[in-house]
Amino acid sequence: MRFEERKIGDVFVAKVLESRIAADIAARFKSDLIEYVTNGHRKFVLDLSEITFIDSSGLGALIASLKVIGDDGEIALCGAREAVASMFKLTRMNKVFRMFNTPEEAAAALF
Amino acid sequence: MKILLVDDDRVARRIHSILLRAQGHEVVEAADGALAWQLVVESDISFVVSDWVMPNLAGVDLCRRIRAAALDRYVYVILCTSKGAKTDLIEGMDAGADDFLVKPVGPDELRVKVRAGERVLNLQQGLAQKNDELARTNQQLQSSHKLLEDDLKAAAWMQQRLLPPPALEANGLRCHWRFEPSGYVAGDIFNFFAMDEREVGFYLLDVSGHGVPAAMLSVTLSMILKPDASRGSPLRRLNRATQLSEILSPGDAIRELNRRFQTKDDRYFTMIYGLFDTSSSILRIAQAGHPGPVLIGKNGHPEILGTGGMPVGLWNEIDFDCLEVPVKAGDRLLLYSDGVTECINRKGKAFGEQRLLAYLAGASQSLDQLLEGLLEEIRNWRDGVESRDDVSLLAIERNAEPAQ
Repeated sequence: MRFEERKIGDVFVAKVLESRIAADIAARFKSDLIEYVTNGHRKFVLDLSEITFIDSSGLGALIASLKVIGDDGEIALCGAREAVASMFKLTRMNKVFRMFNTPEEAAAALF
Repeated sequence: MKILLVDDDRVARRIHSILLRAQGHEVVEAADGALAWQLVVESDISFVVSDWVMPNLAGVDLCRRIRAAALDRYVYVILCTSKGAKTDLIEGMDAGADDFLVKPVGPDELRVKVRAGERVLNLQQGLAQKNDELARTNQQLQSSHKLLEDDLKAAAWMQQRLLPPPALEANGLRCHWRFEPSGYVAGDIFNFFAMDEREVGFYLLDVSGHGVPAAMLSVTLSMILKPDASRGSPLRRLNRATQLSEILSPGDAIRELNRRFQTKDDRYFTMIYGLFDTSSSILRIAQAGHPGPVLIGKNGHPEILGTGGMPVGLWNEIDFDCLEVPVKAGDRLLLYSDGVTECINRKGKAFGEQRLLAYLAGASQSLDQLLEGLLEEIRNWRDGVESRDDVSLLAIERNAEPAQ
C-alpha cells in the first residue's frame, strides 16, 4: 500500500495513495497502519483525499489500528470524499474519528 | 544410446557399427528399410541412421513412415546420401529427416552428428517429461478445485435453507425477499417471523468482509436470532419478577447482540432490526450502521428512515437507538444490503440511493414484482460487470385491515 508521508510542524501526515480500499488490500492497509503505530506514531493524520471507495474490510482495518493505538493516541482523518464521508456518517465513525477537511486543519488539532 | 543402423551394404554397415560402438553406443542393425520399420515400431529405438537407397523401403520413405506414425516418442533420423545434392536434401527434409551424412562417412563426422542428435533427443525427452508432469498437476488441481466447489455449493445450500419461505405472512404483514450472493455463500442474511400474536420481527444483517468467514458468522447469527424464548435468543429476555419472557426493544436486542459478539479480530456486522406492533401500528427500528430501510407510503414518496448508527461487534457497552414510525395498511418497507447501492456499472459509477428511490417511487406492482423489477434494474445497471457484493432484499407490506 502506497503512502505519501510528510510532516506539518511536528505532526506526521500519511496520505493514502490508493483510490479503492476493498477486501483485496484491506489486510495490507491494516498492517501498514499498525506499522506506523508501532514505529512510534501515536498521534498522526491520515489523509483520505485520494480514496473514492472504502468497503467494510477497509473500515475494519482502520478501526483495528485505532484499537492498537489505544486511548492515549489518535488517528485524525482528513479529506474524506463523498462516498467515504457518507459511509462514515452511516456507521457513526465520524463520532469515533475526528474528521477534518484539510491535513493542515487536522495537524493543528493534533498539535 | 541405442542406435538403429540401416544399410543394405554389409561392409558399410559393419564399419559404421564399429565406429558407433567405439563411441559408446549400442547398435542395432537392419539390412533393409522394411525390417528397420518393424524394429522401430516394436521397440523403443529413438535414433535412426539410415542409408537412402535400399530395397523394400528406401531410407527417405522409412523416415516418412516414422513421422506419420503416432509413436509414443520422438525418433531422430539421420539419412545418408551418396550424392548430397540439394534436391536430395530438400526431399529428405520434407520427409522429416533431422540431419544428413554424405557418403563416404568419416568417423568424426558421424561422431559429431550423432552427438548433436543426442542433444536434441535429450531436450525432446526432457520436454515430454515436463509435459507429463504438467498434465498430472493440472489433473490434481482440477480435482481439488472440484472438491472445493462441491463444498461451497453444499454450504450455499445450507445457507439458503436458513432463509424464510418465499412468501410469508404474519399478523397482517406480508414479506417477499431476494437473496443473491456474489459468490456461493454470502455475508448477508435476513429473516422475518412473528414474535407473538401481536408483534412481528424482521432483520437484515451484513457481515464485514467476504467469502466463507463472513458467511460462517452470518449463519451463526441467523441461528441465534430466533423469535422464541427457549433458545437463549438475544431478542428476548426473561423477566425474573414475572417469570415471563419479554420481547426486547430493537435497541436493547442489538445491545445484547453487541455484548455477545465482541470479536477479537476486525469482524463486525451492520444490521437493521425491526419490530412491528400490529395493535398500535407502530414500527420500531434499530439501525446498526446499516443503510436505512425505505418506507414507501401508499400515496407518498419513498423515504429513507434513520440517520445511521454504530455497527455491531466493534465496542462493548454501546447503546443503539430505536426510531418509531407508524405503518398503515398498504405501506411498504424495503430493507436492502449495500450490494444494491454500491453496485457499479461499466463506467465505475455506483447505482446509488437516488436511483433506488426513483425506482421505488414508480413501483406500483405487487411486492414480489417490485423486487423482481429492482433486480432487473440492477442487472441492467451492471451491464455484465461482475457483481462484487451480495445483494439482499427484504420487502414488507402491511395488508389491509382484516375484517375481524
